[in-house]
Amino acid sequence: MIYGKLWLVVKPSVGVPLFLGAVAVSSFAVHYALLTNTTWLPKYYEGGAKATAAVAQETAVAALTVVPERK
Amino acid sequence: MSDPHKVWPTGLTEPESQELHRNIIQGTQIFGAIAAFAHLLAYIYTPWLH
Repeated sequence: MIYGKLWLVVKPSVGVPLFLGAVAVSSFAVHYALLTNTTWLPKYYEGGAKATAAVAQETAVAALTVVPERK
Repeated sequence: MSDPHKVWPTGLTEPESQELHRNIIQGTQIFGAIAAFAHLLAYIYTPWLH
């Protein structure tokens, strides 16, 4: 396998965490940038948009169908 | 470099280094496949890149 001898000169206890850490940090940075620079990702992470919309619609329908009390 | 029993400064022999590297490559491939699938879903279901 190409570069299979890498671990003869790089200590695995240094190289493996460095590699995994670089992946974690860079992917976090990209997703954080999306979170702070778009409108749709914060909405998605907040969640409950469909449920909130459904409740709002129900409330609106209920408000329209309120029958005035007869005296 | 051809002696499979020679212990290098990192404490590994060449077969050990090759084995570790195989596992790291395989892990990277599996991670990459899952990430590619996740990005496909994100592309389909979010406004990302549209």
